[in-house]
Amino acid sequence: MEVQKEAQRIMTLSVWKMYHSRMQRGGLRLHRSLQLSLVMRSARELYLSAKVEAHEQTEVPSLPARSPDPRLHPLREAQAAAEAASPDGEQPCSEPMDTQEAPRAEETPARCTPHPAKVSRKRRSSSLSDGGDAGLVPSKKARLEEEAEEGASSEVPDRLQPPPAQAEGAFPNLARVLQRRFSGLLNCSPAASPTVSPPACEGKPACRPADNMLNVLVRAVVAF
Amino acid sequence: MVLQPNERRYRDWSHRRLGPWCSPTGSPAPLSCETGCGEGSWILVCRLLVPTQVSLLSMEEDIDTRKINNSFLRDHSYATEADIISTVEFNHTGELLATGDKGGRVVIFQREQESKNQVHRRGEYNVYSTFQSHEPEFDYLKSLEIEEKINKIRWLPQQNAAYFLLSTNDKTVKLWKVSERDKRPEGYNLKDEEGRLRDPATITTLRVPVLRPMDLMVEATPRRVFANAHTYHINSISVNSDYETYMSADDLRINLWNFEITNQSFNIVDIKPANMEELTEVITAAEFHPHHCNTFVYSSSKGTIRLCDMRASALCDRHTKFFEEPEDPSNRSFFSEIISSISDVKFSHSGRYIMTRDYLTVKVWDLNMENRPIETYQVHDYLRSKLCSLYENDCIFDKFECVWNGSDSVIMTGSYNNFFRMFDRNTKRDVTLEASRENSKPRAILKPRKVCVGGKRRKDEISVDSLDFSKKILHTAWHPSENIIAVAATNNLYIFQDKVN
Repeated sequence: MEVQKEAQRIMTLSVWKMYHSRMQRGGLRLHRSLQLSLVMRSARELYLSAKVEAHEQTEVPSLPARSPDPRLHPLREAQAAAEAASPDGEQPCSEPMDTQEAPRAEETPARCTPHPAKVSRKRRSSSLSDGGDAGLVPSKKARLEEEAEEGASSEVPDRLQPPPAQAEGAFPNLARVLQRRFSGLLNCSPAASPTVSPPACEGKPACRPADNMLNVLVRAVVAF
Repeated sequence: MVLQPNERRYRDWSHRRLGPWCSPTGSPAPLSCETGCGEGSWILVCRLLVPTQVSLLSMEEDIDTRKINNSFLRDHSYATEADIISTVEFNHTGELLATGDKGGRVVIFQREQESKNQVHRRGEYNVYSTFQSHEPEFDYLKSLEIEEKINKIRWLPQQNAAYFLLSTNDKTVKLWKVSERDKRPEGYNLKDEEGRLRDPATITTLRVPVLRPMDLMVEATPRRVFANAHTYHINSISVNSDYETYMSADDLRINLWNFEITNQSFNIVDIKPANMEELTEVITAAEFHPHHCNTFVYSSSKGTIRLCDMRASALCDRHTKFFEEPEDPSNRSFFSEIISSISDVKFSHSGRYIMTRDYLTVKVWDLNMENRPIETYQVHDYLRSKLCSLYENDCIFDKFECVWNGSDSVIMTGSYNNFFRMFDRNTKRDVTLEASRENSKPRAILKPRKVCVGGKRRKDEISVDSLDFSKKILHTAWHPSENIIAVAATNNLYIFQDKVN
């Protein structure tokens, strides 16, 4: 339980830092944002695995032993969360993962429309189409859950293609992570159906009246 | 008093150095020969502080009206954030020492020349030139302000009477020429007494101007501006050993420039993934090999170093050598990913080794061995258990630099509480010293400091919890041939010299 609280605290802190880093002089620092997202990912992983273990009513392990390799692709982490009983099994996978990331990056040019990676808030938020998001998120969720059930360890080609609307963001995988789990964290209860707030869904505020804070925070994260 | 950028005010500044911040220098100290850090003792030569015009005014102002952005600056009297030194670099002879600060200024210090009547002043550095290198800019397209903070300064080897240096902020590299003028042509009859041009019809004689000596003036002129080549923030520049090219590295790309061409650069490394979502690492530092003009290294945020050979291909995305140490599973922690990020990489003067600095350690690598470093030095391992608090106060993101001494036998890096550490590679001894106003008088021998990790704290030891994390030494420099070091502590520049007993 303490582990969960600690992880949650670090996650909140990281989001706060990310949000504030937008306001500093000189604009967003890519390296800093990357480091913050890594910590956030670790914290989320920690929280999830602690929650799973608590749910299974096994002894909650100590903090250092539970930290997984943050280099894992977040979708793989979804599998790792399902396989929370074997954290050590992730470590031998880290080497092949790293080498796989390189070819993965090379494969993506064929599929993704190349977007100029400008750190432009305006451009990014406008690229996230309002209409597309509502349809995207449920299917993303379904795909992630499906993978978690399968426990696939090899590359799934579908996974490589992010929603085109989100290809612009620096860390939209993070946004997905937050969309999936953050509401649960903030409300201190596991989210059966995570309330989703597409960041640029400014046209429909009435749909999600309870998500004001979540909206702000997630929008802050995605708007890199 | 307003400091004109072109004026040499070294005499005025030495007067100011004897003001409220520095006490007069004491008895002379003999110069050191090449010794390791263990044998000699380090003495403070001088502490230099070049206040900006703003902070000069603030001496008379109330505390409330001073522009103090960070709370810890209240402890440093009369300092503004613009005075924080952001880079320090000796030139190739060690005669000049350049510093860049957050306000975009470059201040160059020159070593005092040896003179018979003032022997004790040899080894001291005085202000030689000050100029505004970069100004704050605004990128209208991205609605972003571009900081004027000088990220790096690199000297070019001297080829004529003038000195050349490269200075860079986040986006633009500039080549500056610093030259002296001690003669002035006089005797023109083209202007009248008020300085207005005379009507050519009134000029009846031809007068050839004569060069007359004048007060020495040091002027800095921007010779080249290399702009608009980097989307991300520039973190390193490195002059190639061919003296014709240099490289600039940002988070994802490295560009190769020719000094003569400012509107083009070659992109030699590009690690930007086609899909930014796949981004896992960024470039953190890059440097050319000191002798082989085709070889360079760059470090990453994942703790790896890649050595590239430009002869292999135009785009050096595929490395020639890949240096990575397998992670120690016992040291695994929540933050181990971000503390493994390399903040600085430096070739040894011999070109045989590279040194890397990550958050807690300094590592020396042999270029011929890729799978692990040959030496690892713990800088402040007592912080390993405090990573969570250091994450909260953002200290975990601090980028420390590291330097070699001239003979590659000693390495130095900074820490917190104004501590800096030296490691002798031969004797395996290390020392922790402090650069602080309170504890050091000029010519006094620096006392080695010790941090007490746990248990009983001895006298003169400092406990981990009482370390001041706002006082960090990120930038240091070592004279290329002598044991003289420059240590930047916020807005103070300390010059220490090795005193051999």
